[in-house]
Amino acid sequence: MTATLSPAVARPAHVPEAAVYDFDMFADPAYVADPHARVLDLLGKAPGVFWTPRNGGHWMLLSHEAIFNAARDVETFSSELMPLDKVEQMQKMMPRHVPLPLPICVDPPAHMKYRGPLNRVFGPKAINDLKDSIRTLAGELVDAIRPQGACDFMSAVAEPLPVQVFLKMLGLPVARMDDYRALVRAHLSDPTPNPMDSVKKLWRIVDTIKDVLEDRRANPQDDIISLLWQLDIDGKPTTMDDMENYCVVLFVAGLDTVMNGMGHGIRHLAQHPELQQELRANPALIGDATEELLRRYTFTVPPRIIGKDTVFAGLEMKRGERAMLFLPAADLDPKAFSHAERFDLKRENKTHIAFNAGPHRCLGSHLARVELQIVYEEMLKRLPLFRLDPAHPPSFHCGHVVGVDTLHLLWNP
Amino acid sequence: MKIRIDKPACVGNARCAAVSAELFPLDDDGYIAVSEIAVPPGMEQLARRGARACPERIIVIEEDVAKS
Repeated sequence: MTATLSPAVARPAHVPEAAVYDFDMFADPAYVADPHARVLDLLGKAPGVFWTPRNGGHWMLLSHEAIFNAARDVETFSSELMPLDKVEQMQKMMPRHVPLPLPICVDPPAHMKYRGPLNRVFGPKAINDLKDSIRTLAGELVDAIRPQGACDFMSAVAEPLPVQVFLKMLGLPVARMDDYRALVRAHLSDPTPNPMDSVKKLWRIVDTIKDVLEDRRANPQDDIISLLWQLDIDGKPTTMDDMENYCVVLFVAGLDTVMNGMGHGIRHLAQHPELQQELRANPALIGDATEELLRRYTFTVPPRIIGKDTVFAGLEMKRGERAMLFLPAADLDPKAFSHAERFDLKRENKTHIAFNAGPHRCLGSHLARVELQIVYEEMLKRLPLFRLDPAHPPSFHCGHVVGVDTLHLLWNP
Repeated sequence: MKIRIDKPACVGNARCAAVSAELFPLDDDGYIAVSEIAVPPGMEQLARRGARACPERIIVIEEDVAKS
């Protein structure tokens, strides 16, 4: 994907020149060519906290320490990119309810009101019960490509697997798989759309799911949609608006993320035959490998808005300015991890923050970990040694998700 | 040996329980269920590993001091 640099805006007076570093988190050419190589390069060149003039001008937090502190200081580094009273005003001007990605866009204490009900559904126990069916799905996808000796891993495995798991968990009809995959593709096709296009995409998601939402309201079954209908949110029964909010966040967060983690991990395995060999010989190590791959290739960049004027890392930050928690850099920070660039199965400290720190810790982290580990296990179990296709090098897109577009693999069938 | 946990600061990573589900009990939501754990003899190493695994760094090990 070729991306154009956004225009540089002027440096605000309170930002010292030494704190400026020019980096376009959507379009930096070296970053889009090989994201994590550029992240390592950036860690050697840019300050641990800097201001970039690109994309309207914003703060970038790189160091592990800075991100760890910011993620836990939700008053200063707020997730309410648009204040809730403004959201309400906007809702009144719209022809229909605009689904909100709750609880991502609310700060504590209101945050827990929306997140609490989801915690159990996505908790380790509930996710553990899904393992067998996820393994079956993954096995089927890998078996289907095996005789071909080649595949684009992203479209053959990484994209369909989470969609199928999502349909299963929510109780959506698997027969409509193609509709949902088309939605995912439409959603992913333009990483920097204008706001109204984004809203239209959300409405498309809701329109696709709405008949099932209505049905489960009257005929509850053993799935998440039925469970969400039975909740009390703040003492009030769930409304259709609440359901639209939840479904949109589950859809967007559940599908556009983990597939990219799979892409980064499988790319690393394809580049390292010795690691494939080691893990095939001792599959019990794949759990550790999954964690170390998450650290080495952390791939999300959550946005925050400065909630109050502050001095952070010696820098003046003003209310309303935007700050990015650049998690890929935090987990490659040499101050937090020795030889951070090295993939090291036996690394003592694998305590990464790929799922962020603080109260907004990724709700789907338990599911993501299970999906990632199972994909690595089934790929290694069912395919012989696989490698990158030199004729089709992998391609990436960058932004709030550092994603893999294509990942062409070869093996001897 | 004792484990002390800043329970209100738990955000539900559940990495401690991934090290030892026996030592670090979780509630139904996957958050830590207790704030203090007496470590049974022989489980000291697991306790230390579980504490290190916490991304929020809210698990502290208190070694026994009175040893003769």
